[in-house]
Amino acid sequence: MGNSAVYLEMIRIRFLMMLAYRTNYYSGILIYSINIGAYYFLWQAIYGAQESIQGMDAAQMTTYVAVAWMARAFYFNNIDREIAQEIQEGKVAVEMIRPYHYLGVKTMQGLGEGLFRLLFFSLPGMVVIWLAFPITFSDNFAVWGFFFISILFSFIVNTQINLLTGMATFFLLYNTGLIRGKRVVIDLFSGLLLPISFYPLWAQEIMQFLPFQAISYIPSMIFTEAFTGTEIYQALGIQLFWAAVLIIPIQLMWVLAKRQLIVQGG
Amino acid sequence: MNVVEVEGLRKEFKSYSSRSGLAGAFRDLFTRNYQVLRAVNDISLHIKKGEMVGYIGENGAGKSTTIKMLTGILTPTAGRILVNGMNPHKEREKFVRTIGVVFGQRSQLWWDIAVQESFRLLKKVYKVSDDAYEAHMGEVIATLDIGPLLDKPVRKLSLGQRMRCELAAALIHNPPLLFLDEPTIGLDVLVKMKIREFLKEINRKYQTTILLTTHDLADIEALCERVVLLDEGKIIYDGRLDQLQKNWVEGKQIHFEFHHPVERHALIELSGGADVKWRQGERCNEWIAGIEGDEEAVSQLMSRVIQQHPISDVKVNQASTEEIIRNIYEEGLTHG
Amino acid sequence: MFYVSIFFQYAAQYLKTRLTYRADLVVEILSDLLFQAVNLIFILVVFGHTTTLHGWSREEIIFIYGFFLVPYAIFTAFFNIWDFNDRYIVKGEMDRVLTRPVHSLLQIVIERMELESLFGVITGMAIMFYAGSRLGLEIHWYDPLVLLIMVIGGALIYAGIFITLASISFWSDSKTDLMPMMYNIGNYGRYPVDIYNRLIRFTLTWILPFAFVGVYPSAFFLGRTDWYVYAFLTPVMGLLFLTIAVVLWNQGVKHYRGAGN
Ligand SMILES: Nc1ncnc2c1ncn2[C@@H]1O[C@H](COP(=O)(O)OP(=O)(O)OP(=O)(O)O)[C@@H](O)[C@H]1O
Ligand SMILES: [Mg+2]
Repeated sequence: MGNSAVYLEMIRIRFLMMLAYRTNYYSGILIYSINIGAYYFLWQAIYGAQESIQGMDAAQMTTYVAVAWMARAFYFNNIDREIAQEIQEGKVAVEMIRPYHYLGVKTMQGLGEGLFRLLFFSLPGMVVIWLAFPITFSDNFAVWGFFFISILFSFIVNTQINLLTGMATFFLLYNTGLIRGKRVVIDLFSGLLLPISFYPLWAQEIMQFLPFQAISYIPSMIFTEAFTGTEIYQALGIQLFWAAVLIIPIQLMWVLAKRQLIVQGG
Repeated sequence: MNVVEVEGLRKEFKSYSSRSGLAGAFRDLFTRNYQVLRAVNDISLHIKKGEMVGYIGENGAGKSTTIKMLTGILTPTAGRILVNGMNPHKEREKFVRTIGVVFGQRSQLWWDIAVQESFRLLKKVYKVSDDAYEAHMGEVIATLDIGPLLDKPVRKLSLGQRMRCELAAALIHNPPLLFLDEPTIGLDVLVKMKIREFLKEINRKYQTTILLTTHDLADIEALCERVVLLDEGKIIYDGRLDQLQKNWVEGKQIHFEFHHPVERHALIELSGGADVKWRQGERCNEWIAGIEGDEEAVSQLMSRVIQQHPISDVKVNQASTEEIIRNIYEEGLTHG
Repeated sequence: MFYVSIFFQYAAQYLKTRLTYRADLVVEILSDLLFQAVNLIFILVVFGHTTTLHGWSREEIIFIYGFFLVPYAIFTAFFNIWDFNDRYIVKGEMDRVLTRPVHSLLQIVIERMELESLFGVITGMAIMFYAGSRLGLEIHWYDPLVLLIMVIGGALIYAGIFITLASISFWSDSKTDLMPMMYNIGNYGRYPVDIYNRLIRFTLTWILPFAFVGVYPSAFFLGRTDWYVYAFLTPVMGLLFLTIAVVLWNQGVKHYRGAGN
């Protein structure tokens, strides 16, 4: 495809845009540190005198929290809100006649944003947190490799869900409620706030059938080495599965959306 | 008593420029380059009650910025402003009750609700009594012919329909002073005419003072006796429109349309001793001669040219306002 | 009086618009409920693995959460300004606001209100009653009055912080995601602040005083006498932060640059 140059350019532009918003950059670092700090102490209090909960000790939990937030910096993006806005302002109709795939462009913009945060935000942030809190990093090179593969899938699955919520605007007109709801659900069910293994068994079973654990729980468990051996391959398999399955509703919705656009005339 | 009194008004914008490339963007994280742009540069302006003033200038000359300072939206960097006897920014809430504002580029109405709901809301906001509203707005609605639009939401209106509603909305409290920033942008001839008629009408009836910016000089010709010409933030002309015409060119314009392509130097040779400026027209083989001098000089030039080069058409006329303004934009006022 | 009548005029308008897009309204109320449930679930799951949090029981933590929801609901109903920078500064809607004869902040508050968020008051009260009865708390004659004052104080603190953040947009031309992230920090005031280290505790008490929209005022109802002083500081902090915010806002309006062309 001759289009890959276009997509690469999209990543680069978004990367530069992120650099331009420097207030964002500084405040982002501050806020993420406060978040991780607060959760660290909260978990300290929860552990209290207990050695371990659900097979994780306090140090692992701290690492889990730190990594979950830093990974979030990579996979998180606002393209659902951007899509909703562009649909409401009628810009999507224009995008449809451009020689590239609109959803592809949006994904690439998200990736540019994510790469920016990973390099300028998560990496230095991790160093700071490593100095401030007792965090254990794996010395196993393979764990790091699996972790990076895993957060790539996190990005894909999270972005796919964002595309779906964003496109729902075609049918809902006003969509703030859904977008807000999605965000809350992801924070809770993805394992950002709580490892999935902490939930009651019946809840864990339900969550197994949902795509959200592929976003945060799996990479964080890999990083903290709470998953080992074949568990890792299984977990990556689940992520791959969801990344593939979610393509179906996206395509379906896109086709319907295009039809909708033709009917309404933009 | 002047409605608008402006002395040495200035507005500066600090604009950041970003360095190019990735390394540049990275450096921008720590230190940034900026420039100070003087959008409005020490202008002074006095407008009397009941005047209609056209405020013109190229894109980016600083017209909108001036209007935003006069309406209290922006704080001036320096200078003294007194509008309707008040400092717009200091007593904003009291002040804006005495003015009406329309920005052609941007809607002032609520997007989702019907036009009349917007009107009703504004009526409350401006504390207009029922009687005053009925009497005044009934007429406005009739003149602008927006009665049938009142129950439609703004987002379903066409540009021209919306613009008429915007104008009506700005007049709900019947303000003695009206600021219009490009009120006719993108409108068809009929709507433009309607709006011009309407503005004349309220100016006549209520002595409403109007300051209006536009890029359509026909608006100015139809409405304003006085024009203020702005260039790069400075006022370069402030006076009667017909005076501008007189000052700028005494002479005439001759439009030639030749049968064959003609070279500029051939035409210049034909000018003889007369003071003639040749300019290529928009159509092919069209040339325009600006000539200073009496009718004698005009007819001499015409006969000399026609003898040498066969023509398909020729016209003689006074330089149009548009022509004058364009010349000023291109060359400045120096020829004046 | 003028402002009251304006308020009702806008509110009526608002209801009309909202009822036109009923589907979104329903989804929005549901997502609010979901949001309220999520935090409750977090508490329940955590207490599935421990019995006390630094000497505070599950019901006490739930009570604090219930209290928090009430001022928070009022805040979200009226101070829906998280996209202020985008909407009013970048897109230049502030131009319109500034040509109207009502205080600019008040105009934005009333044109952006989301009355359906007030459902949160009911959820919050219900949670408080549930936890309170489990704890065997008595209700005194003065409790409703104190509650009202604490709730108003808490809502004002939230309003003050977010108005201050919005005001930054008048000076800085770059967009920030500060506001959405600040919502997260608000959560930490709901836990007994003595679990945190001194820095975070200080921040949550004096700099971003979210602890006054959670644990401090609740301490009064839970009979934690050692924190009564903080509890009664709630309305004071609320007024203080709102005043600071409004002063900053008024200063900021003078720096408004208009939408860059
Ligand atoms: N918010 C702003 N920030 C930075 N620069 C600005 C801002 N607003 C205007 N400018 C600059 O000030 C100058 C004057 O702009 P202004 O909008 O007043 O021009 P104008 O005469 O109204 O032009 P037009 O005919 O295009 O509407 C321009 O160079 C513009 O780039
Ligand atoms: Mg302009």
